[in-house]
Amino acid sequence: MSGVGGDRMLTEAGYQNASTDNRHKILDGRALAADLRRQIIPQIEELIKAGFRPNLVSLSIGETDASRLYVRNQRRAAENLRIGFAEQVLDTGIEVDQLLRVIQGLNADPRVTGIIVQRPIPSHLPIKTVQAAVHPLKDVEGMHPSSIGNIVYNDLVMGPCTAVAAVELLKRTKLRLQGLEVVVIGHSEIVGKPIAFLLMSEGATVTVCHHMTRNLAIHSRQADAVFVAVGQAGLVTGDMIKPGAALIDIGINRVMGADGGVKLIGDADFDSCVEVAGWITPVPGGVGPVTVAIFMRNAVTAATLVKERYAQTPPSGF
Amino acid sequence: MSPPRSNSAKIIDGKALAADLHKRIGTAVMALKREHGVTPTLAVVLVGEDPASHVYVRAKIRHAKDVGLGTIEHVLPAAISETELLGLIASLNTDDSVSAILVQLPLPDHIDKEKIFSSMDPAKDVDGLHPVNVGRLWGGGKGIVPCTPYGCMVMLKRTLSQLAGKRALVIGRSNIVGRPLAALLLSEDATVTIAHSRTENLPARCREADILVAAVGSAGMVRGDWIKPGAAVIDVGISRITASEKAFKPDGTLKTRIVGDVVFEEARMVAGWITPVPGGVGPMTIACLMRNTVIAACRRRGLAEPEL
Repeated sequence: MSGVGGDRMLTEAGYQNASTDNRHKILDGRALAADLRRQIIPQIEELIKAGFRPNLVSLSIGETDASRLYVRNQRRAAENLRIGFAEQVLDTGIEVDQLLRVIQGLNADPRVTGIIVQRPIPSHLPIKTVQAAVHPLKDVEGMHPSSIGNIVYNDLVMGPCTAVAAVELLKRTKLRLQGLEVVVIGHSEIVGKPIAFLLMSEGATVTVCHHMTRNLAIHSRQADAVFVAVGQAGLVTGDMIKPGAALIDIGINRVMGADGGVKLIGDADFDSCVEVAGWITPVPGGVGPVTVAIFMRNAVTAATLVKERYAQTPPSGF
Repeated sequence: MSPPRSNSAKIIDGKALAADLHKRIGTAVMALKREHGVTPTLAVVLVGEDPASHVYVRAKIRHAKDVGLGTIEHVLPAAISETELLGLIASLNTDDSVSAILVQLPLPDHIDKEKIFSSMDPAKDVDGLHPVNVGRLWGGGKGIVPCTPYGCMVMLKRTLSQLAGKRALVIGRSNIVGRPLAALLLSEDATVTIAHSRTENLPARCREADILVAAVGSAGMVRGDWIKPGAAVIDVGISRITASEKAFKPDGTLKTRIVGDVVFEEARMVAGWITPVPGGVGPMTIACLMRNTVIAACRRRGLAEPEL
């Protein structure tokens, strides 16, 4: 794999050579994910030694082929790091009270350090209530309202994985975040909005655009960094970005390839954007792998918090 | 001198909107008392001697009484320890007669204000500052919305036929105004930019905005030529400045007056709508505090929330 964005400075020469060879512009998510995993390995060793092995429990409500694949990837990532991973598949007809009791049981179980509620969940279950039921100390997905609220207060403990991953990729460019003009396209509660307040806290001037925005290109062309997370293949084209800007593509779309097979592409039209951008994340191999790595980092953070919590509790019964 | 332009801005009358809201809150409170025997009650905690804080708290208590709310006031010395303050909050959390708790800011430096916010029962956190309420504002779900931003939204919705697709620029990224207001504007599908002290070319960015909110607290920072013709301007800033170098009060000190972040006389020639200071955002903030108290009381009892 050739150069990672962070190893390189922004130079004029970089742009001029871009048309002949764009490989140096690629923000390599797999390489960043590997770095992030390396950083947490010593912490995992220590936790295991202390008897607090990170243990994740994944709750799926019903299953599809896609969700099975997704959970299998999480399991593999966890087990490669010696993080425990257990899977519970619940019946799609489960009532909200029953589901909340399952979650309360996991909240109370000292062996469980992290809880994942796989999405989507059936429509009869209120997702916000379910996410808020996970104990904030075990909220490895960063979806509990208090996890989000704490980020707004600049106290990043466990943030929503995809948003944190996207911001980590931007940090790899070594662009100065203070005063950076950033446009976020998409205002979803799990990606767009969290990216906006993470970057706001870093001092960037953030504009959030979405389906109601008029003249998206006018906004995106002003930006030093563009994040796109709408799930619309080819939405961002090269003429919509400022030369030299960083483009972080969070979309994952399944399209029919020229050979008739299914392939994954992002929300950006990669071929035209790579000519103009200073940095660009590929799909696949960009935000996706980093998201899984952040998820594992959250799992380690959660286990550490549980361990600290136990250390604080005075021994009882004496 | 040219005559005043006939197309100068319409004033968004915060006082009138607040009076209207007060009336509706009063009716709702009466209904709650009559039908359910519930008196929504606001507990106010004031720490220290800051004169402005004392003025604000007095105004809040007076308005609360006017609309029929119960009030409890705790005035504490500046030297109170964090632990003691946390103890008071804990007792207000468990006191069933208290519907809502307001901790007047600023708090003395030795008290960690975020710790205080986090210690409140989120269901009683009338200013919407508990991390859970902040998270619900950004992440979805039903929390308590901070008073000032909510008041700004009421004024904007009354003024503009629609917010979706409008370009909104919020200057200031405070946790109490700028950030929550950005979240509220986003949920109305405006295209939102949050600008602040590090933003480059601020005047140019302001000129692009259909909705301009100034929430910095810097007197007269926003000039008339920063404003897009026809824009709606919401001025959240409150600063006290010297009225004139020659005007004295009876005690010999210079007279002062209250101004906003926007140079009003310049801005009104360009903007489509503008909030005055005083008489704009301020009265709406207090009205929304009453509203949040009533809403909190209803939610605690599982009663239907009145439309306020």
